[in-house]
Amino acid sequence: MKTPSKFHEQEISETGIIPPFKVGIVRFPGTNCDTDTFEAVESISGLEPVWLSYHQETIRDIDAVILPGGFSYGDYLRTGAMAAQTPVVSAIRKFADDGKPVMGICNGFQILVESKMLPGALLMNASRTFICEESPVVSQTSKTPFNTLLPEGTRISLPIAHQEGRYYLPEKELREIEASGQVIFRYVNNPNGSVHDIAGVSNRRGNVVGLMPHPERRVRDSSPSRDGLLLFESLLISLRNRFFHPD
Amino acid sequence: MTSTTSRFRIPPSEMEMIQSLLGREPSLTEEAVFSAMWSEHCSYKSSRIHLRSFSALHPRVKAGPGENAGIVQVQDGISVAFKMESHNHPSFLEPFQGSATGVGGILRDVIAMGARPVALANSLVFGSLRHPRHRTLFQRVVEGIAGYGNPAGIPTIAGETWFDDRYQSNILVNVMAVGIVKDQSIMSAKASREGLLAIYIGNMTGRDGVSGAAMASRGFTRDGDDLRPQVQIADPYAGKNLMEATLEIARRGLADSIQDMGAAGLTSSSTEMAGRAGLGMELDVSLVPLRDPTMEPWEILLSESQERMLVLATPQNAETILEIASSWHLSSAVIGKTISDARFVVRKKDHTLASIPISHLTDNAPLYQRPSVPTNRTPNSEAAPSMAGAHSLSDLFHRMIDHPNGGDPRWIYRHFDFEVQTRTVLGPGHDSAVIDLKSPSGSGIAISIVSQPHACARDPYRGGALIVSKAVTELAAVGAFPLALTDCLNFGNPENPVVMGEFQEAIRGIAEASIAFDIPVVSGNVSLYNETDQTSIPPTPMIGVTGLLPALRNRISGHTKAPGLKLAIVGYMENMSLGGSYLDWILEGDVQEAVPSVPYEKIRGLSSFMMASSARGSVTATRAVGRGGIVRTLLMMVASAPSLGFYLDLPKSIEPLGFFFSESPGRIVLAYSAEEESRISEMAKEWNVTFLPLGYTAPGVWTIRFRNMEGNLKEWTENLGVIKSRFQRALSQFMEELP
Repeated sequence: MKTPSKFHEQEISETGIIPPFKVGIVRFPGTNCDTDTFEAVESISGLEPVWLSYHQETIRDIDAVILPGGFSYGDYLRTGAMAAQTPVVSAIRKFADDGKPVMGICNGFQILVESKMLPGALLMNASRTFICEESPVVSQTSKTPFNTLLPEGTRISLPIAHQEGRYYLPEKELREIEASGQVIFRYVNNPNGSVHDIAGVSNRRGNVVGLMPHPERRVRDSSPSRDGLLLFESLLISLRNRFFHPD
Repeated sequence: MTSTTSRFRIPPSEMEMIQSLLGREPSLTEEAVFSAMWSEHCSYKSSRIHLRSFSALHPRVKAGPGENAGIVQVQDGISVAFKMESHNHPSFLEPFQGSATGVGGILRDVIAMGARPVALANSLVFGSLRHPRHRTLFQRVVEGIAGYGNPAGIPTIAGETWFDDRYQSNILVNVMAVGIVKDQSIMSAKASREGLLAIYIGNMTGRDGVSGAAMASRGFTRDGDDLRPQVQIADPYAGKNLMEATLEIARRGLADSIQDMGAAGLTSSSTEMAGRAGLGMELDVSLVPLRDPTMEPWEILLSESQERMLVLATPQNAETILEIASSWHLSSAVIGKTISDARFVVRKKDHTLASIPISHLTDNAPLYQRPSVPTNRTPNSEAAPSMAGAHSLSDLFHRMIDHPNGGDPRWIYRHFDFEVQTRTVLGPGHDSAVIDLKSPSGSGIAISIVSQPHACARDPYRGGALIVSKAVTELAAVGAFPLALTDCLNFGNPENPVVMGEFQEAIRGIAEASIAFDIPVVSGNVSLYNETDQTSIPPTPMIGVTGLLPALRNRISGHTKAPGLKLAIVGYMENMSLGGSYLDWILEGDVQEAVPSVPYEKIRGLSSFMMASSARGSVTATRAVGRGGIVRTLLMMVASAPSLGFYLDLPKSIEPLGFFFSESPGRIVLAYSAEEESRISEMAKEWNVTFLPLGYTAPGVWTIRFRNMEGNLKEWTENLGVIKSRFQRALSQFMEELP
């Protein structure tokens, strides 16, 4: 994984405390996990969620971007296809090209795939139905900003809730992303027919990730588990690491 | 054409009433307006007299019947709004759109009160899944509910189903929505004064669902296929945008009043909002955003196109409201205004098409005291004695869990996003669903949705009381006490005196029980004419009850995975009647016992006991004794742990059929660690509830040892793996084989 070129110009305040890192949460019409994701980021001391709108053309003063789940544009045409054409996604592409962290969850993953920022496609589940259930996954790498605290082989329990989550990639390209360590999460009990049990992937550089399970649903005291916190805490750790060691 | 023949199927007697009220022939547009407003669906003309026995009087109630949804206060500054509604007729004709628009409609009722929806629940009754048609209907209804609730981002967290051939030609699809609202955002559907602008926001109006209200006010006949154009089409994407726009308008205090354009669309929303205040309404149909510009005025007035709201606001606020609508990609227009003359005036530019005193549409609408015959539900003492005792316990139990009615409902709820909004603390599969208010108080809202079709068919009065007591017991099981009730009364043809008798009896039971438990009835819906070719469905009232869980951390799950927990039953054990039970249904009504009456005082005691036990954290898991009786309830409790069973050794002699299979109200099964036993039994004494230890949870075992009334020691043992896999497959085996 390449080192990011330049990091957001964050400065230690006079008190010696690092101001919180800003995490942009993107809202499209039809996004419905926006508030959940916002609250999950908010629950991490050191991260500050900030709303990003689908029509904004630039992203400024933001350290990481998360595209939450939902049904952007009603899933009309094809899941994620319309959102991938919005101004904010062009801005996110530039943001990612600078090596900054981007995560797409569920519909956010579909949008990143549709916009070609991540490889592959997300097809209708093998069961052809919506599936909402707990589906444990195993981390395959600790090398993305969202896996820092999840060494290879770490099993966490997250829920899935989707109808189009069957990850697909032709055999040749599949071998390539496996070889380059771009598969970041695999299902323990493949719920939807994804190739190689893939639940999440990253780009080659490792700064853009997408996953179908919902980490933001496993952060509260009252949740069945709090495993989702690990992804957001990973983000904080990796942002701090890069802050202190920019190159 | 004689003068009493209606182009909109208004009965001749009502056409005469219209002519005498107006003192002239109605115009085409006026006749259309009357057909909608006088339909059973809008006017409640057969039911209204009887609904008066429900009481909404309670200090917690902030909005009751007559509003879009009921509202009760749960803590300082925060209230919940909720309502339940049927979409039976449309779902039978077009199951996906029928159920999806049912969900959309009930959500808009809650949204119109200014509340953000946080939960959906449903109660579904179908014919037997042996019929391929019902498998398809069921599949598509489940997908339709998911197809609206999931994209709208509202978790579907509770539900129940019943499959019964008495519903082969009329399925029931009832949905409930619950929302949270801050006091300052509570809206009303009552105009405050004249001179308010009527602002249309939402999807454009099309020809879909024209006369839907009138359709739902008739029975089906064999040639019912031609009704499909009267079913509306859902657009959850626009619906979600409309939700956000409406909530923004309410939150910013821009609206005077809001109403969903539901049944009879523009007509009912505009006349009702003005009518509640004794005002009039003037509309210009040429200003309504249309999908098809060739639509006739009467079509525009009766269209039930989805995702539309009518907002009344002062002229100063109109501009901002239109801007909000457009920022959410919605059509909007000022289409009329409230006037001091209490008439409904419809114009198309300069032409006046209708001018009707609003009281003729609402207060002077027909009100029928339909003839009824008393229902005789006392058991037949002449009948041959029950054969239930001739079957082995094991055989009876297998028949229960092999049937979709007794099987695992997981196939259904995995279609529903039951976790979006991250409020779900107890989701589907528990007695009551529990959601997090996300307020500093740490409290939660519990939701229980209940029907008991077989008990209500056997005795609608006792059945009505039973469903209320079941909901109270289910709320108690998770540690909640009841706040308020909403109902959906599904019956057959009210012109049939037998049906009308059942209707009155069911209402008597629900009203009696809700008063006994001090639960206000804050909203509701009546669905009549559930009949096909003159055959009516059995009486099927359904209720949804919200409860308050003062501290979420005290909630009690309905599942356990832990071996070695003690099991006990608490509550009222004096009546072990099998009348109206699932066993009675499995044996085709063979059990000649009365449907049990409700021991109100005992259930109030049980509720208090559960509140105290949950506050002390003594109990690990609980379940109200439900469908199938104690043994099936225990199975549900250990169902999520593949290898967990139980070993029961009953301390006293029992009459096995009643003990194992009775669904008499007011009993809860508890699982707790052994060291808590003395404390729990002490508390039971304190609250005067019977406490009976049963045994404990155990890995790999399913054994029940007991003495029958003759004093003989018996042992009932099952292969745990076989039981669990049969339970899991009972419903899914029908559905997963669909082509």
